[in-house]
Amino acid sequence: MANNEVDIVKVIESKFGSKVQVQPGLLGTAAINTNGLHREVLKAMVEADAKTGITAITGLDLGANLGVIFHVHTEKGFFGLRAEVPKEKPRLQTITDIIPGALFHELEVSDLFGIMFDGNELKGHFLLSENWPEGIFPLRKDVNPAEVKLGPSPPEEKIPEDKKIVKFIIGPQHPALLEPEKFSVTVEGEVVTKVEPRIGYVHRGIEKSAETRTYVQDVYLVERVCGICNACHAHGFVGAVEKILKTDVPPRAKYLRVIALELNRLHSHLLTLGHAGLEIGYETLFQYFWRDREPIMDLIELTSGNRVYASLMTIGGVRRDLKDTDIPKIKTTLSDLKKKLPFYRKVYTDEPSIRARMQNEGVLAKEDAIKLCVVGPVARGSGYDIDVRKDDPYEAYGEIPFKEIVYKTGDTWARMNVRMDELEESINIIEYALDNMPKGPFRVDVPRYVPIGEAIHRVEAPRGELFYYVKGNGSASPERVKIRTPTYANIPAFLKTAIGENIADVPPNFVSLDPCFSCTDR
Amino acid sequence: MWRRTASHIFTKPATTKYPFVKPKLPEDFRGKPNYTIRTCNMIDLSGTQRQIGFDVQKLVNTNCTVCARDCPAFAIEIVEVDGKKRPQFDLNKCIFCNQCVESCPRNAITASTEYELATTDKKSLIIRPNPKEASK
Amino acid sequence: MAVDFWLIARILIFPGFTFILLLTLFCDWIERKLEARIQNRVGPMVAGPAGLFQPLADFIKLLTKEEIEPRNAKKIVFKFAPLAAFAMMVFAMCFLPIDGGSVISTSGFPGDLVVILTFSTIASFMLFLSGWASSNPYGTISSARVLTQFLGYDIPLFILALTPAFIAGSLSIFAIASYQVTKVVPFIIMAPWAFILFLITIQAELEKDPFDVPDAESELVGGIETEYTGAKLAFLHLTRDVQIVFGAALIVELFLGGPYGPVIGGLPAFWYSLWFVLKLLAVVIVTEYVTTLFARLRIDQVLSANWKIILPLAVLSLMLTVAMITWVYPVL
Repeated sequence: MANNEVDIVKVIESKFGSKVQVQPGLLGTAAINTNGLHREVLKAMVEADAKTGITAITGLDLGANLGVIFHVHTEKGFFGLRAEVPKEKPRLQTITDIIPGALFHELEVSDLFGIMFDGNELKGHFLLSENWPEGIFPLRKDVNPAEVKLGPSPPEEKIPEDKKIVKFIIGPQHPALLEPEKFSVTVEGEVVTKVEPRIGYVHRGIEKSAETRTYVQDVYLVERVCGICNACHAHGFVGAVEKILKTDVPPRAKYLRVIALELNRLHSHLLTLGHAGLEIGYETLFQYFWRDREPIMDLIELTSGNRVYASLMTIGGVRRDLKDTDIPKIKTTLSDLKKKLPFYRKVYTDEPSIRARMQNEGVLAKEDAIKLCVVGPVARGSGYDIDVRKDDPYEAYGEIPFKEIVYKTGDTWARMNVRMDELEESINIIEYALDNMPKGPFRVDVPRYVPIGEAIHRVEAPRGELFYYVKGNGSASPERVKIRTPTYANIPAFLKTAIGENIADVPPNFVSLDPCFSCTDR
Repeated sequence: MWRRTASHIFTKPATTKYPFVKPKLPEDFRGKPNYTIRTCNMIDLSGTQRQIGFDVQKLVNTNCTVCARDCPAFAIEIVEVDGKKRPQFDLNKCIFCNQCVESCPRNAITASTEYELATTDKKSLIIRPNPKEASK
Repeated sequence: MAVDFWLIARILIFPGFTFILLLTLFCDWIERKLEARIQNRVGPMVAGPAGLFQPLADFIKLLTKEEIEPRNAKKIVFKFAPLAAFAMMVFAMCFLPIDGGSVISTSGFPGDLVVILTFSTIASFMLFLSGWASSNPYGTISSARVLTQFLGYDIPLFILALTPAFIAGSLSIFAIASYQVTKVVPFIIMAPWAFILFLITIQAELEKDPFDVPDAESELVGGIETEYTGAKLAFLHLTRDVQIVFGAALIVELFLGGPYGPVIGGLPAFWYSLWFVLKLLAVVIVTEYVTTLFARLRIDQVLSANWKIILPLAVLSLMLTVAMITWVYPVL
C-alpha cells in the first residue's frame, strides 16, 4: 500500500530536510544518503513504524572510501540507507541498540571489510577462520585471497575447572546438525543458561569469487550456496541482474520460475519435517517423510534435468521449457502427495509423544520476533506475518491466489505446523500455475555486459526471506554481490529461545528453525 | 498411526534396489555432455577407448572458445590438437550444468543421459579429441 | 575329578553360549528387518540370504577395527566393562530353562529368579561404568541417564516379577514356568495387568523407544559408546542385544509358560527348545513394533512416568493379584 511508505519518506524529509538526500525508486522503495546521520534516520524510522527491522548490511569498497548500505524494511516499504567512511579511519556507530537484530550483520561487515562499529566491537574473527591473519580484509578490492598466508592453528580450548557449570559443545561434527557449526551451550544441571555460536565453518568466500567470474558463471556459483534452496538463490541473483538490465521476462518464464520455486519449497519442507522427527527420536516418521520426498525429487528431475541442482534459471528467463506431455505426470504425483497430507497432519496433532516434545518448547514471542528481525516460518509461527510473496510480489505471485499461513503460539509445534500447511499451499500454487500457463517464449536474449547500476531482489525461500544485492560496473563481472540468507537472520532467535530449556529440547528447537549452514556462511 | 505401520509390514518397500535395478530417467536428464549417436572414437589420456564423442566436423572453423569462457567450473580447456584448437573436457571438474551445450554457437556439443561415470583412474575422465579424426 | 563332557557341551554349545549367541544375532536380524519393513524400506539384504548374516558381519567387522583409548580414560574399567557386562548377561541367561532344563542344573534352585534379576542389574551397572570411564562429556551425561533409568525401573521390575512368583508360590523359575503348564493356564491370562506393565517396564529397562533417552543420538552423539572402538564396541552392542533376548526370555518364562508346550512325538528337549524360541520371537516382534511406533521421551518425562505412574501401578497390580489368588481364583 502506498500510504505507509510515503509516510516514512515524508517523515524523513520533514525531520532532516536537506541533510539527507532521498532517491525514490532505487534499492527498493527509496535510497537515502545519510551523510553520517544513519543512527538518527534509523531512530526516526523506528519511531514512525514499530515493525522496522534490518534485512542486511552491505559493505562496499568504493576506492578511497568504504561504503555501507543499511537495508531496512518497514511494514510496507524497503529502504537503503547509505553511509561512507574513509579507508584510513573506518569507524561507524552501531545500531544494535536501536535494532538488536543487526548484531550478526555488523560483525560480518567488521570481519570482511574492516569497518569497526563503536559499541559492537569484533573480538577475534566472526566468519573467517581463526588462523586468518589480522588486518587483511578479504572483500576489499586490493586483497587477493589466494596470496594470503594463513597463520598457525589456534590452541586447544580449555574446559573450565568449575565443576557445577558445564560447557557443553554441540560441536562442529554432531549427528544433530546437518552441517558444521559450533554452539557452546552452558548448562546448569540440565537447564541451558547461555548459547554462544561460532559460525563460519562452511565459509567458501562465494561473495568474493562472484566478483571474478562472469554473470553467466555466477548463476551457477550462486546456486551452490545451498543445496536445498538452490532455485531460490539462482532466482535472487537473476532477478537482481534483470532489474539492472531492465529486461522484461516473458510471462511464460515467470510461471515456469514459480513452479521451480514451489517445487523447491515442497522438497525442503518435507526434508525439515522428517528431520524434526529424527531429532525427537521418531525414526519412523522421518523415513515416511523422506519416502514422500522422493517423488518430488523425481519431479524436479523431470522439469529441470537434475534431482538437486535445478539450474533452471538464467538471466532473461528459464533454460528449458515444460513439455505438455509432462504436465499429467506432475499433476498425478502432486495429487498423491496431497492425499497423504491429512495423515501427517493427524500424526502431528494426535500423536502424544510429538506433542509432549514439541508443544510449549522454544517459545518465541511476537515482540521478540519483530525486534530480532526473524524471517520465514519462524516468524509466521510466532504471529508475525511477513511473506515476501505477499508483501512484495515477484514473478507471477501477484496473479496466483494463495493463503499466508500464520500461527500464534510461537513454539516448536507451531513452526512445524506452518511448514505442514505450506505444503498444501505450494501444491495448490503449482496446480494453478500449470493450469494457467501462458504460451509464448520462455527466454529473451540479454547482453553479456551489464551497465553500471545496482539493484536488490528479495525471494521467499523455504526458510524465509532471501535477499540479494548486485552492483554492476559495466563489465562482464559484477562489482559486488551481497547475499543475506534466511538462516543468518534466524540464528539470533535460537540464541534467545534456547535459554531456560532442558538440554534435551535444544535439538528439536534448533531444527524447528530449519538451519542451513551452507546458506549462513556462504 | 499404528494401523498404518502395521499395514506397512506387508506392503512392498519403496526402495529402488540400485545397483541391481536401474532407475528410469527422464530423457532430458542432465548427464555427461557430448554424446552424439554417430561418433568418432576419441582417445582419452590414459589410452583406453571411451565411446564418447562430439561432432568434430562442425568445429573446423569455429575457434570461438565460448564453451571454455562460459564453463562455471573451468572444466573446459582449449588445447592444440594437430594444429587446430579443440576443447578438452575435464569430467573431474564438470558440474553437468550443460551451459556449454547452450553456449556453443555451432551446436557441436550435445547433452546425454549417461551418469555412471565412476572410475578408479582420474586420467580417463579427461577427454580430448582424437588427433587422427580431428583432421578429417 | 572326572570331566563331565556332557556338561561342557551344554555350557558351550547348546543351550549355552553358542546357542545364546546365535539366538541373539537372529533376533537382531528380525528386529532390523521388521523395523525396515515398517518404515517401508528393505533392511539388510546383501549379506547372506535375505541379509541373515548381517549382524554377524557387523560383529566381525568391528573386531577387525583399530582400538583407540582416550588418554584420560580409566584404563582397567574402560577395557573390561563391556566384557564384564556381556559375561554377566550370558551368565544370567544360563539359568533360564530352555530345553526343559537350564544350562547349569536341571531343576534350578529356589530363589534363582532373584539371582538372575540381580545379575542383569549388575550388567547394566557395568554398562554405566563403561560410559563413566570414558572421560568424555557425552559419555558421562549419558551414563548418568543410564543409571537413573535402570535403577529407577528396577523397582517396578522386581515387584512385577514377584507377581508370577506369588501365583506359583515359589521363587524358582522352573517352578513358575512349569506351574503355568501343569497346574493352570499361563499367567498372561491369569494376571494380564501384570503382563502389560511388565512389558512396559522391560521396554524401559532395555532402553528402547519411547525410553530411548540414554542412547539419544541427536543430543549425545553416541551415548555410552562414544569413545569405544573395535572389539570393545562389538561387545557393547552384543550386550545390548543379549539384554533384549534376556528381557524377552524373562517374559516368556514368567508369563507365557516357558519352554513347556505340547510335545508331538520325538525328543521332548527339541520341542521345548522350539516352543521357547517361537515364544521368544513373538515377544521380540511385539517390543520392536512398539519401538518403531513412538518418539523419544525426555529424561524428566521418563522419570516422572516411572515414579508417578509405573511404580504405583506395579504396587496396585501386586495387591490385585494377591487378592485374586486368595479369594477369586480358588472359587473358579
